[in-house]
Amino acid sequence: MAAEGRRVAIVGMGGAFPNCKDLSEFKQKLFAGESLIRDWDEARAHGKNIRSTVSGYITEAEMGLEAIYSTLAAGYPETYIDHLGRIPDGNLSTADVGSIWSMIGSQEAIKMAGWSDAETESEQTGVVIGSGGAGHVILRTAWHNFFELKRKTRIAGSHTVDRAMVYRDAANVSCLIKNKGVCEAIGSACATGLGNIGYAYRLIKFGIQDRVVAGGVEGTSLETFIGFDAMQVLSKGFAAGESSRPFDTSRNGFVCSFGCGIVALEEYEMAKARGAKILAVIDNYHNNSDGAGNMFFPSFSGQKRLWKGLIGDLQIKPEVVKVHGTSTPVGDAIELLSVVDIMGDEGYHISAPKSQFGHMLGAAGAVELITSILMLEKQQVLPCLNSDVLNPEPESFQKSPEWEGPEKPLEGYRHLISKEIVRKEINQIVCLNYGFGGTNSAMSISKHL
Amino acid sequence: MERQEIIDGLVEILKTVRTIDQEKLQNLTEETDFIADLKTPSTEMINIAAKAEQKFDVEFEDDDIDDLGSTVKDIVDLIIRTKERA
Repeated sequence: MAAEGRRVAIVGMGGAFPNCKDLSEFKQKLFAGESLIRDWDEARAHGKNIRSTVSGYITEAEMGLEAIYSTLAAGYPETYIDHLGRIPDGNLSTADVGSIWSMIGSQEAIKMAGWSDAETESEQTGVVIGSGGAGHVILRTAWHNFFELKRKTRIAGSHTVDRAMVYRDAANVSCLIKNKGVCEAIGSACATGLGNIGYAYRLIKFGIQDRVVAGGVEGTSLETFIGFDAMQVLSKGFAAGESSRPFDTSRNGFVCSFGCGIVALEEYEMAKARGAKILAVIDNYHNNSDGAGNMFFPSFSGQKRLWKGLIGDLQIKPEVVKVHGTSTPVGDAIELLSVVDIMGDEGYHISAPKSQFGHMLGAAGAVELITSILMLEKQQVLPCLNSDVLNPEPESFQKSPEWEGPEKPLEGYRHLISKEIVRKEINQIVCLNYGFGGTNSAMSISKHL
Repeated sequence: MERQEIIDGLVEILKTVRTIDQEKLQNLTEETDFIADLKTPSTEMINIAAKAEQKFDVEFEDDDIDDLGSTVKDIVDLIIRTKERA
């Protein structure tokens, strides 16, 4: 249970963002209303074997990295060089691309937080970072050489475990920063990013840690992309910048993207006492499951229970609701209606930042929390790109006799969703993310007053 | 194959291992210890052995790799022994 009087501040952030060299360029492009989604040559190279060819991807070169390929196994990145000298070679040797981004993002977040080495290396500092991770080039090459080419296990070298294990990102960050507290990864599909930060929040709130480096990452990986492509859930048929279109009637899937979001959390009074710049304060975090027995279909009642758990007996009246808003046909409709059912239909705006950078899967919740912190800082609601036409007719599920939610069609809530940047006073933002398996996560953050 | 020729080949392999202090390769002898002298992470030893198999066109027995010592001499001996066995 929560320890008396403990609150949690966000004091640092960093990461890896599509088509941006760093957080500052990410911020600049977001608030210029740009799309960070591009045609992906790596997907396009597979011709008719792949449906979708757009992504918010990040290349190694864009992150200042270079793969050193093995002489033993074709196409196997044996290790990486950091041309910007941020990460030592020893740490790079145990990391996949996502883990390297996590280390870079953690360095940035800790620097922004202003933690001393003693604070970072303390028993009271934890690391909680997770990935959605459906596989990557490390595993694919190792398995291909063993199973298909019938070669010895040692051909892929001794780093396939540390570079592919579930908590590789957290482990690599911990080995880099040498913290002595908790080091774990939470996995909850596309809620992973927010789930890890929510768990880290609880570690501090419950008095278990004073500081936690937390977040989510999804390293660029065609291996991950093709699984979703096969499910026919990816956006198809639009130009890159128009392919992520939350709430628009012509939306036909999400844009599979990649990235990394890391935040530095600290017990509020400690952060305040040392004069830290507090980016935001976490009001509460809540997560639950749909309990509907459905792996994929979103649950209106599950999302409503999520809100109720988040609000509890707190004053939660956000000026912005940062939705999951993936640009999938059913997901967006259920989500908008569950938000309206709880929040009513005025007094706030809906922000769907995936319209600008796509769906970063395990990184989504973390990068979108960072996006929300930036909205608090700028006092601007980011635009919902491509939300051109909202359905004037009720959704099919709204016509069902069992439906107990709002009856107006999505078009009736057009005023909540802006295609342009909205400048207004923003004191509180609620962030929502959901994942396969019916998992739901919500966090409320407030401006530090 | 001469022992020095093998050592030169090993140096070429070690130059590709970024976790090894490259300056120390200039004075490499048969007595040099990969772990004690070159500070090679123990996890890299199997990678060095696999690259040696490729470079010298040999295939080590798993037991020989398990029993392999950590000096340059140990791996030179193993390469020669394996070549003779073939």
